[in-house]
Order: sequence, then structure tokens, then C-alpha cells
Amino acid sequence: MACKNQYHQPEKVIWRQVYPIDEQIYPFTERAFYSLACNHCENPTCLNVCPVKAYYKREDGIVVHEQKKCIGCGNCIRSCPYGAPRYNPELKKAEKCSFCWQRIDAGLQPQCVQSCPVDALQIIDLATFNQPGAVQYPPGFPKQPKLNPSVRFMLPRLPKTIGEEDI
Amino acid sequence: MSNMEMPLVVFSVLSQTAIGLVIINTNRQWTAKPHLAHLQEGSRQWGIVLAFLVTGMIASFFHLGHPLQAYTTLKHLSNAWLSWELLGIAVFLGLALLGLLTEKRNKSGMISFATALVGLLTLLFMGMTYSPPGYPAINNALPLVFFLLTALLLGASCSAWFAPPEKRAWLLRILSVTLIVGLVVYLIVPCVWLSGGTVMKQTAWAWILSPLYWGRIGIGLVLPLILLWRLQDIPAWLPIIILLGELMGRAGFFRDTVHAAGNIGGLY
Repeated sequence: MACKNQYHQPEKVIWRQVYPIDEQIYPFTERAFYSLACNHCENPTCLNVCPVKAYYKREDGIVVHEQKKCIGCGNCIRSCPYGAPRYNPELKKAEKCSFCWQRIDAGLQPQCVQSCPVDALQIIDLATFNQPGAVQYPPGFPKQPKLNPSVRFMLPRLPKTIGEEDI
Repeated sequence: MSNMEMPLVVFSVLSQTAIGLVIINTNRQWTAKPHLAHLQEGSRQWGIVLAFLVTGMIASFFHLGHPLQAYTTLKHLSNAWLSWELLGIAVFLGLALLGLLTEKRNKSGMISFATALVGLLTLLFMGMTYSPPGYPAINNALPLVFFLLTALLLGASCSAWFAPPEKRAWLLRILSVTLIVGLVVYLIVPCVWLSGGTVMKQTAWAWILSPLYWGRIGIGLVLPLILLWRLQDIPAWLPIIILLGELMGRAGFFRDTVHAAGNIGGLY
């Protein structure tokens, strides 16, 4: 919602998507989710496959898509294993999460990070990030070491099992 | 890949047909076997090559959101296989045009050889372009194998248009062997995928349950094999049947191959 309010993407053009975690991975009655957008990979396949150089990587690691250069060939959409670039049928071009780089440059947080009511999203510095329990490839997230996605996950807490000692 | 991508289907199959035609013709010229000398390189053959290629290229423009900016696709030769693919197609087109224009003067076959070489490289570039990490089942050499098969099947069958019936044994052998190899490859590949990860298995089942996959095998491989066996010849209309099968197969390739992102949240 925060992303849509900021950028007003057309219907079905989703930059950040919430995926339910399958019961095979999280076998409890309560549900858990991954909230995923572009992972701004260290070696982004979208950037590598784009024939018109519509992508570039900033010094801070943000992968930016320059829409004015895009010709709508869809090669980045096919190539990204995380489904980050999407086709905008109105503009006939690809687009993806920009990490709100304009907000970052203005000293603000990305809209999704700022708006998440449960603080599930955070910006981290991978050079110094060392939180125990954080993983790069949790179950249900495609493992692509060559791309090296710049994202880390804290696995969902297991629900408390009520035993006799709790009664 | 969720939809059939018809412009890409037409572009890839027709351009591979053009490449296959030149490869088969060049092979004949450079092996220079006396019993194959009847296969005259001629303006008609270059014309057919160009007709396939240009029709495919026109179709490819319908795939782009902004076709008038298609010329900018050569900007990323340092990294993007798609840029190399389009450069290969452009050079192939130029050489084929040169072959057509100089056909009466140049009988050395060098242009034909250069065109075939560029065509082979273009098949490699196409194979790399269509094996992205987003599709685990085809993130390997399989697209290149599929494209080589298409080029040989349609190249060999269309070459028969330029050879009299009594002189087609060589083409008949190439076509028969390629059809058998194609049948084996297309039947085995989904079975191999069944032993892979979740997305590979999903792709295998999507292919196995797809009418396009079975149409491709039935119309594009089994029926031509039966016809070749019964007729012991390559009739002029056989390439049309093979082309129909290839188009179905390529549409299935784009529609039924499952993207990795489709399983996010599930076991891989």
C-alpha cells in the first residue's frame, strides 16, 4: 500500500509483494510471510542482460532502472529469478523497486520501510551487519549465489506450544 | 514463461530456419561431393533465406514495447547476450543480402561459409539469451540444443526445395537422423527435469500436460518421420508440417516453462 501510494503503479504492477510461506516450510496454524521487492543484487542479472543499458548500480548498491532508456523487450523480466522487474502495460516498459533512491538521497527511508507497522523491514549495511540468526537464503527464497542478493532475513518465530507446565 | 510470446516464437523459429538453410547449403558446397553438385547456390535460395529472416525480424518488432528504439539494443555488447544475438542477426542479414546481390559473380562459396559461421554463432547467442537464471529448467545448454535442432530440421527440409527428387538422399539422411535425435531429446528432457528441484518438476509437468508439447512431438517429429519412411523422399509440403510442429514447440517453450519466482514461499 505504501509503495502504491508513493508511485501510483497501474493495477498488477507490483514492486513489493507479500508471499505466504508454504505450510511445508512453516507448518503451523498461524501464517508467516515474505515481503519481497528488488533485492538490489551485488551482480544483478537485470543489469547484465539489459541490451539497452537501462539499468545501473549506484555507489551505495542500489540498482536503478532508467525507464526512459527501456524499450520493453522484457529480457530483465524473464531473467530475474526473484520476479522483481514487472511489465507496465501502460508505458510498455519494465519497471521495478527503486529502493526509493530519491528519498534516500533526501535523507529519508524508503516508503515501505517507513510505513511498515511492525518494523518488519529495515535498511542494513551489509559491510557491518552481523546479527545472529539472519540468513540470506531462507527456505522458499531462490538461492542464487552468482547474483548475491543484498537482502537478509530473520526467520519467523515459532509459535509457543502450550504444554502442561503452562497450565 | 506464462504467455506464448508469439512474436518471439515466429522470430526465433524463422530466423533459425534461415540459419539452418545456409548451414546445410554451405555444408554441401564445402564438402563438394560430386553427387551433391546439383544443389546450385542461387538467388532463389538466398531469396528464401531472406524471406524467412525478414519475416521473423518484422515479427520481433511486435514483441518490443518501443520498436522504433530497437537500434539501441546493440549498446550492451559488453555483457548482454541479447545484444550479441541482435548483432548476429544483423550481420547474418547483411551477409545474406551480399550473397543475393553477388550470387552470379561469386561462386567461391566464401560468402555462404561466412554467413553459415555467423549463423552458428547467432544460434549460440540465442541459446545464451534464452537460458536465464529466472528459469531453472532451461538455465543450461538446452535452449541451444533446441535451437540447433530447429535449424537442422527446417534447414534440411527446406533445402529439399532446391534439389530434384532423385538427388535428395543426403538431405533425407540428415533430416531423418535429426528427427530421431529431436524425438529422443524432447521425450527425455521432461523426464530429466522430473528428477530436479521443485521448479524443474513444475516445468516437466507443465510440458507433459501441454497439448503444445505433444502437438510438437506428434506433428513436428513423429508424423514427418512416418512420412519420410513411407515416401523415402522429402515432399515440398513437408517443411510446412515441420514448421507447424516447431511453432507449437516454441510456443510451449515460452508458455509452459515455469519461472522461479512462481514458487517463492514454497520449497525449492
